Amino acid sequence: MAEFIKFDRITKFYGPLCVVENLDLSIAKGEFVSLLGPSGSGKTTLLMMLAGFEQATSGKILLDGAAINDVPTHKRDMGVVFQSYALFPHMTVGENIAFPLQMRGIDKAETAARVKQALDMVQLSTLADRRPSQLSGGQQQRVALARALVFEPRVVLMDEPLGALDKQLREQMQLDIRELHRRLGLTIVFVTHDQSEALTMSDRVAVFNKGKIEQIGTPRQVYDEPATRFVAEFIGETNLVEGVVEAIEGREATVRLPNGAQIVSAVSDGVAAGQGVYLSIRPERIDLAEARGAARNVLETEVTDSVYQGDHLRVQLQNEAYPLIAKLGRRSREFAPGTKVFAAFSAGDCRVIAP
Amino acid sequence: MPMKIAKLTFALLTILFLVAPLIAILPLAFTSSVILTYPIPSWSLRWFEELFFADAWRRAIINSLIIGTGTTLLATVLGTAASLGLRNRLFFFRGSMRTLFLLPMVVPAVVLGVGMQVLLARFGLINSYAGVIIAHTVVAIPFVVVSVTGALAGIDERVELAAQSLGAAPVTVFRRVTLPLAMPGVLSGAVLAFATSLDEVVLTLFVAGPNQRTLARQMFSSIRENISPAIAAAAFLFIAATILIGLVVVLSRSMLERRTRPAAS
Amino acid sequence: MSGSSSRMGRSLLLLAPLFLFLMGFFVWPLFSMMSQAVSDPAVLRLLPRTAEIMGDWDRESPPSMPMQTALMEDLKAVDDDQALGDMVRRLNSARSGFRTLMSKTTSALGDAASPPPDLVSIDKRWEKPEFWIAIADALSPLTDRNLLAAVDLGRNSAGAIEHLPADQSVNRVILVRTFWIAALVTFFCACIGFPYAIIAASLTGWKRDLMLAAVLLPLWTSLLVRTAAWFILLQEQGLINDFLRAIGLIDAPLALIFNRTGVIIAMTHVLLPFMVLPIYSVLITIPKNLMPAAASLGAPPIRAFLRVLLPLSLRGVASGGLLVFISAIGYYITPALIGGPGDQMISSIIAFYATGSANWGMAGALGMVLLVATLLLYSVYARLSSDEPGRR
Repeated sequence: MAEFIKFDRITKFYGPLCVVENLDLSIAKGEFVSLLGPSGSGKTTLLMMLAGFEQATSGKILLDGAAINDVPTHKRDMGVVFQSYALFPHMTVGENIAFPLQMRGIDKAETAARVKQALDMVQLSTLADRRPSQLSGGQQQRVALARALVFEPRVVLMDEPLGALDKQLREQMQLDIRELHRRLGLTIVFVTHDQSEALTMSDRVAVFNKGKIEQIGTPRQVYDEPATRFVAEFIGETNLVEGVVEAIEGREATVRLPNGAQIVSAVSDGVAAGQGVYLSIRPERIDLAEARGAARNVLETEVTDSVYQGDHLRVQLQNEAYPLIAKLGRRSREFAPGTKVFAAFSAGDCRVIAP
Repeated sequence: MPMKIAKLTFALLTILFLVAPLIAILPLAFTSSVILTYPIPSWSLRWFEELFFADAWRRAIINSLIIGTGTTLLATVLGTAASLGLRNRLFFFRGSMRTLFLLPMVVPAVVLGVGMQVLLARFGLINSYAGVIIAHTVVAIPFVVVSVTGALAGIDERVELAAQSLGAAPVTVFRRVTLPLAMPGVLSGAVLAFATSLDEVVLTLFVAGPNQRTLARQMFSSIRENISPAIAAAAFLFIAATILIGLVVVLSRSMLERRTRPAAS
Repeated sequence: MSGSSSRMGRSLLLLAPLFLFLMGFFVWPLFSMMSQAVSDPAVLRLLPRTAEIMGDWDRESPPSMPMQTALMEDLKAVDDDQALGDMVRRLNSARSGFRTLMSKTTSALGDAASPPPDLVSIDKRWEKPEFWIAIADALSPLTDRNLLAAVDLGRNSAGAIEHLPADQSVNRVILVRTFWIAALVTFFCACIGFPYAIIAASLTGWKRDLMLAAVLLPLWTSLLVRTAAWFILLQEQGLINDFLRAIGLIDAPLALIFNRTGVIIAMTHVLLPFMVLPIYSVLITIPKNLMPAAASLGAPPIRAFLRVLLPLSLRGVASGGLLVFISAIGYYITPALIGGPGDQMISSIIAFYATGSANWGMAGALGMVLLVATLLLYSVYARLSSDEPGRR
């Protein structure tokens, strides 16, 4: 994979506070990478350093092989979409979009043509003479997008650009941005704290926690093969059960739970027999039945509550040692509280995580 | 980096320009010399003695206190009542009323002074305490109105509605809810009214006689005629009072914020 | 709706005291000052009997006998030559020929040996209504003379408005000086206050608090204290001269006080907070990410400032500038204490006319000029500060 953007051992301190710690990250040309994490995890700071708004305390940032640490923002050629859009309130929509072209000394005719093209791209051609304050949130968002793309920047940076939109609009915009990414071959670095947004849009997701990247991979990898407890809990919902590894055979481990039950689970490198670990079992991968079936992993439990949630049935389970949550498809039958059930799942649907 | 240094230098120089004169005058209050210049030959409290025991200064201080108190009472009562009246949104002339109440702040003092002198002379109020108090009240009113309307605007009207729904009659709502919430605004309005009166010179020049010479008026003629370190001593008192008043205002503001902020946040 | 009408009554009751107070002690004084400017009872005072009789005159018929007798008695009773001269000049400017008529009449009246029976017997011109109309007009207590004189204009003998001769043209010089000093002070305040506000708004925490406190402290300090402080700093043996001599920059003390330099420095200091605060309050409403956005779109710092920050903060600069200018044109204390005779502004002249020479007419006329200028500028300011940002 070609390294288009490379963070090389980046550290950032605010006073005594370390917000990014010795971080390495490479991004390929044309790739859509999300930086996902809770607030204060350092993801926005990393983006700010890439845009040139912040200086790294140590380490190098390379763009296309050249260090850009000392290049001022206005010469970096990166389109930034801000959290609250940062549209210039005293300029019209058209003037806002023309701004980066004017800064580059592009002549009037071409500017006008490219502004029009950009407005068409985000379907706002009729609003060129409005002021930002006269637009809805979604329209402002698209103006910000057009403004960041119109000068064909080398990289597009987005800092929680959809955070202020309501759910439906946000999902529509997610698909629109994905479509633009694919059509224009953009390199996009996208900061978000919304895990479903990251999974929907990205080629790769970098999960941030406390100034470090916990895991980086495709959406499938970070969801199905969480490397750490933090990733397992932050992305999606999961059941975490403590246990001890009894034996490892290839990609599978046998884990003994506190109540004596044995579970066979997928495992990555770096876990040894005898080690105390967590088992992560995604709720939607659990099947419930009143009879012990043929599945490899079966746990005896009792239903404590069952809630109908439209697209799924959410069942809370409890046995003598640990609670579990199962999400069942809507065709599943109902379980009354107090029912003794068997929770079954395959070895590939659970994962051993080193603590 | 050079930009940063330029900014820092500029900010520091401007702060120096703003604050240094006020600091420069303070040590001279304690000089033993009769002239108001540096260096100070030796330290002495003689100018504070002068201030408190020389007849002209002592009378001026007493006059300032009398007139300041009168102004504060009159301006606070009138201004607070009017601010409460201005709360009524249905009131037709609300905007023009408010403008009228703020206008004394805008009209040049000398212009007002000339008119005031003509008018008060007609009423026989010239060269009287009442006349000076009236004149000072006119210019103190805007500060009270701004301060109290500000405090009233910060009151969440739902709190008053809640009090009504809990069974409080309008008078009780006013006494138990509105007034306590607005109190910091009234207080800082009163303080500002007093400060305005204390510092007023121009109107005093026009309407006060020799018997109503205030401290500010005395300082004015002292600077003009025979400047002495007594000025610095008076300035010292003023600055000390300013800091005190500033503290009261800041405290009452934060009190106001605490009171009008919704409980949740 | 008895509820809302009783509420209305209560509001009125609360507003009434202050309204009446300000009507009586704020609006009325201003009006009486302005009426001083346009009233001129000098002729009325000289000719009380004539005034009484001429009230019934129809301004067309020839002068009646009682009118002539009354005027003769009034003229005989005049003992103030100065006032008489003023009156004649005024009558002559309304009706040419009055000067010779009057001198002929007064000398005839002064002839105790053969008192004339009526005025027409002294001079035929007294038959003509035009001359009596001029007297009737002069008896009216209204005049535009003071207002014209306030801007160095006067009426010539034909009644046309023209410039006063140069030796009487002092007011215009002072008006121009007032506006010039105010403009200079506004300019310096803007030069210092705008960057200062930008820096303050870009900071956070204690640094910002410090910068604001440095502005608020002088604002809260007595004006006299600040003026006295500048007195100490600027005088010949003052700190500034001492300092400049100590570092060897100058040999002889600079003249910093009782001249224009001192007035400008002290007024800039006094009014700087009025520039900084409005600009600051506009700047903090500008979203923090606009300047980074401009940079990311390729704008170098200077262009980003010119295209984004400056247009957005212009409203604050205009408000601050107006506020400073309005305050500066009405300034009295600082020029009076720090300035020399050549730095006195319009307020000082008004005060001089009012207290020094008891010329209420001129004081009122100049006051009216100042008041009108102030209120005009204030209405612009009020509109500026009530306009919502981001709208055209």
